[in-house]
Parts: sequence; structure tokens; C-alpha cells
Amino acid sequence: MTLASGLTLTVVLALVSVVALVMRPRGTSTVDFYLAGQRVGVATNAWAICGDYFSAASFLGVAAAVYATGLDGAWYAVGFAAGFVPVLLFVAAPLRRFGEFSIPDFLGRRLGSERVRLVAVGVVQLVILSYLVPQTVGSGITWELLVGQGVAGLSPYATGIVVSTAVVAALVSFGGMRGTTWTQAVQFLLLLGALLWLAATVIGEGFHYGDAVEQISTAPLGNPAPDGGLATEPNALHPGEPAVFGEPGARYDVLGQIALMVTLAMGTAGLPHVMNRYFTSPTGSAARTTTVWVLCLAGVFYAVAVMLGTAAREIVPGAVADNPWLDELTVDGVLTVPEHALPVLGRIYGGDAGLGVVAAGALIAVLSTIAGLLLAAAASWGHDVYERHLNPRATQRQAVRAGRITTLVTAGTAAGIGLVLRPEAFAASTPSIVATMVTWAFAVAGSALTPVFLLSIWWRRTTAAGAVAGMTTGVVVVIAMLTAGTVADGSPWPDLLLAPTLLAAPLTTVVTVVVSRSTAPPPDVERSWLIMHGTAADRHTQALARLVLAESRRRRREVRRARR
Amino acid sequence: MDDDVGTRDTPAEVDATFRTLRRVAVGYFVVFLLGVAAFPVLTLTLDWWSQARLVGGMSPGFLVAAFGLYGFFAVLGIAAARLSSAVEHRMLGEAAQPADDTVDEEDAR
Repeated sequence: MTLASGLTLTVVLALVSVVALVMRPRGTSTVDFYLAGQRVGVATNAWAICGDYFSAASFLGVAAAVYATGLDGAWYAVGFAAGFVPVLLFVAAPLRRFGEFSIPDFLGRRLGSERVRLVAVGVVQLVILSYLVPQTVGSGITWELLVGQGVAGLSPYATGIVVSTAVVAALVSFGGMRGTTWTQAVQFLLLLGALLWLAATVIGEGFHYGDAVEQISTAPLGNPAPDGGLATEPNALHPGEPAVFGEPGARYDVLGQIALMVTLAMGTAGLPHVMNRYFTSPTGSAARTTTVWVLCLAGVFYAVAVMLGTAAREIVPGAVADNPWLDELTVDGVLTVPEHALPVLGRIYGGDAGLGVVAAGALIAVLSTIAGLLLAAAASWGHDVYERHLNPRATQRQAVRAGRITTLVTAGTAAGIGLVLRPEAFAASTPSIVATMVTWAFAVAGSALTPVFLLSIWWRRTTAAGAVAGMTTGVVVVIAMLTAGTVADGSPWPDLLLAPTLLAAPLTTVVTVVVSRSTAPPPDVERSWLIMHGTAADRHTQALARLVLAESRRRRREVRRARR
Repeated sequence: MDDDVGTRDTPAEVDATFRTLRRVAVGYFVVFLLGVAAFPVLTLTLDWWSQARLVGGMSPGFLVAAFGLYGFFAVLGIAAARLSSAVEHRMLGEAAQPADDTVDEEDAR
């Protein structure tokens, strides 16, 4: 570990710990622990959602995808950003107005069924685990890169997993949603800062985006092959022709491109750690405005990430001669591990300090996403299972303690699985276990949760039986398709099998509608409608806020007068 | 569930607002789908889309994927949020009161 890397790591962890300590929950109620008292402002919540959402897959993965496949890699970025459009149009405001603790809580109350709640808990846990395990693997990889040393006899990879998971679990169980909100907001600003610093440095050194795209598109796109040389990427759109960086076809045909977009765009609305953040907004209108902020911030973040992937493709081959350390990372000037694109750019222009900044950014991305996932797990186990079923007479203190214990148990489980899943063990079957498992999480969320979620908000006739049948269908179809896509070679539609939402979500919708039509809707659906689609509670909250503001102004004026 | 629901939103008002908001959301979602789906269609049907060079050396397709779609999402989001909030403001609550107030005043006269 260099001095710069150690300093960067220490500063980041110290800053995050101080923020969690200062912003710890003020009360001991579950609303304070899980929902930060429902008083998180628009800007803070938007930053926290971005911190929650932008994992290592966004920070390192998008640039890596663009680096390896050119324009086709940009579809990951577009899909991640596009996911918030359906959230804004269909989910944010009504979800907040209904005002529950978690997705299972929302579905259970809206459809008046504990069975729906428990099935939803199972689906949510599947999504959380699929998302959490690759984050722990990512933290191990990043620790290897940033620190390079293990402690207490552990390898650097294992140390990374144990230290990061332990630190985040402690911060979350101590800070609850309030502390986590502020640490995620600060983490996002640090992450964005690292990305913008790298972009400004690269442009300052003479990088011209348009010229670079034109220059690297003049030759066929080549990547390292198993035989040790470079292999030209085949063109999926025009078979027989080589793929080119600046044109589509290096990875996806039209069906694959649409399947990926649908999987990523539909998945966002079903991600529990992101949706839970909407319950912390003070009003439905604030939740909607927060999503607009997130859309704008995501646009900036992903546009810069795509540019940096392009920059790495142009700059790295010319930098090998002046930077001998690149020899072992490249084949004929092309990186063997695309995820190294941003760290390598950081080191080329900023030396060890630059590498430290980028690696710290990656670690921040991992930590903030782990924090959101642990809180979502705590909310669904602690609130939906413990409070509702195991100990319905639990005091607020007992319920919060259950949430804290759940956080630690979930973190331990994910860390254990992460330690078993050594990335190199899967190198032969998948290019990246991190990216693959994150796509699984989006697929399960978008196929099993999002359709039921949307129908519950916008279709009065949705019933508990329909929701259970829909979620079960979605999970079964997704697992079957992902298994077939991973195991079976030579499938005619490999991209569709590995991004199954295009097929699974319509199936879930049809099953939910058909079963709902044959069963009776919950009796209090009109009351739910008044709460979800009315604005009385919003107006009440705004009126209270105006009164509090006016009162505090009056008191300040009185204090000033008294001083005179 | 927030139980603190004001009494000023009647089921009829909320139902009318819900239907309007659903039309707004579906309308904007169709625009979103058309915007995103246009990319592969243009890729398959228009050589200019992938091979022309506009700003610097970027093709129209690359420009749209690198910048244009994010701008499109942001503009769409801002427009949809403004319209949805305006619909709620006009159809529910305080802004819906003047009509009732007017009736009250007229009754009083």
C-alpha cells in the first residue's frame, strides 16, 4: 500500500464514520431508524439515492463495458439512467403517499394480505442477496487494488470483504436510515467528484472526445483472446463484418439490445434499497421532485463514465511505452481486464495519488450500495417478519434492536458467500461475476416485483391472490431463463435468456391480471386510492412545515429584538 | 399507511385526478418508449445514423447514446413532473376550493 492509497482510504472511512456519528437517529422509534423520521429533503435524498444506486457496476462497470464493446457498452449506462423514468411516472409520488416501511409492507397493506407480504419478503431477499454478494466481491477486488495487503493472516481479497462489510454493517446498525442517508449523500458527492476530477484531468491533457471516437473507429474493435493475442470482435448486427467501436453491433443484436434495456429500465422500480428511500421523503411531491434530480444527476454521471471509457480506449495504447507497469495489464495496448480502465487512467495522469482517488471512488460506490441493501434487508426482516409475525407486541426499542441484529446477520451472510465466490473461479463461465449477479438482481426485481407493484398502484382490481401468483410466476420464469442462459451453450437467444425481463414481466402481468379478475379485491381499496392518489396528507405536511418555519422565524426575530 | 388523510379530497376528486394522472403517465411513457426504440430502428434502417460524422468524429447514433438520451430523459422527467404536480394542484385541495368557496359566497348572498 502506498502512502497516497493509505491516506485516501483513511480519509474516506473517517469522513463516512464522522457523518454517520453526527447524523445518527435522534429517536428510538422504527420511523426514525428505517425512515429517518420521513424528513429527508429533496437534494439530500437525491444524492443519497444516487449513492445507493451507483454501485461498482456503475462506477467501474460502465466505463469497462464501453472500453470493451464501444457503443454497445453505452447501453448499460442508458439502461441504468432510463430506469428512473418509469419510477418518476408511475411509482415515486403514490408510493410515498401510501407511506410504508418497505416494498413488502406496501404490497401487504395495499392488498390486505399477510401472504403477499411474506412472498414479497422472499422476492425482496432474493433481489438483495443477488445485489449484495457482488458488492462484497467488488469490495474484495477493490481492496486488492487499493491496499494490496491482508490483515490477521487473511488474503487482501478476504480482508477487503471482511473490513468493508463490518464497517458498513456497524455504521448502518448504529446510524439507521438517518445516518445512512447522510453518509450515502456524502459518498455520492465524493464519487461524482472523483469521476469529474478524472474527466477534467483527461480533457486538460488534450483529450478530444469526437476526434477520439473517429480515430478508434477507423480499425476493427479488438480485445484480448484466450490464446494471448488480440481477437477482432464479430459484428452481431452484420454477421461476417468486424465490429467497430463507434457503431452498434460489438455485443448485441437488436433483440439483445432491447432485452438489456427493458431488464435494466424495469428493474430499477423493483429494487428494494432504492424504493425504500422514497418512504423517507416528507411528501409525495417531494418524492417526485427527488426523482427529477436523480434523472439529471444520473445523466451527468453516466455521460462522463461513457466518455472516460472512450478515453481509456484511445489513451492506453499510446501510454504503454512511457508507463512500463502497463505491460503486465495489457495485450498489444489493450487492457486484459476492462474494469481497470478508470484506475489505469487515474494512475497515468495522477500517479499513485490518482490511482488512490479512483480506487477510493470504487470503494465508496461499493460501501454506499452495501449500506442501502443492508437497510432494506433490515426493514423487510425486522419490520415485515419480526414485528408483524414473530413478535407483534414488540416495543419500538425491541423492533429497532431486531433491525440492527438483522443488519449484522445479513452482512455476515453476504460476506460469507462473497468469500466463497472467488471471482477467478468463475472466470471460465462468465466474464464478470459482479456484473452478472447485478443483472440477475435487476432481472428478478423487474420481472417479479415491478409489474405487481405497478398494478397495485394503478389498477384497483389487483388482488392478493393475483399478486402472489404474479410474483411466483416472475421468480420461477426468471430463474429458469437465467439458468438456461448460463448453462446451455448454443441457445438461439442467449441475450434474451440472460436479460429475461422482456419475456418474464409480461408473463407476470398477465398472470396477475387473470388471477385478480377471478378473485375479489380488498374491501378498503377506495381508502387506499384516496391516500395514494390524493394530496391531503401532502398539503397537511406542507402546512405544518410552513407553520414551523414561520414560528422559527418569529422566534429568531424576538431573540434579535431582545439582544438590541 | 399514513392515516392522517385530510377530509378535503373526496373520492370523486381523487378518482378524476387519478384518471388524469394515469393518462399523463402513460402518454409520457409512450414518448419514452418511442424515443428509446427509435435507436435500434434507425440503426437498422438508416446508414447515415451510424456512419455520418457530426460533432468531431461522432456519428448521430453515438451522440445520442453518449449525450442525447440522458438529456431526453431529463427533459421528459421535468415536463412530466411539472404537469403531474400542476394537475394535482388544480384538481385537488386548496386550488379546488375556490369553486366551493364561490358556491358558498353565492349561497351566502
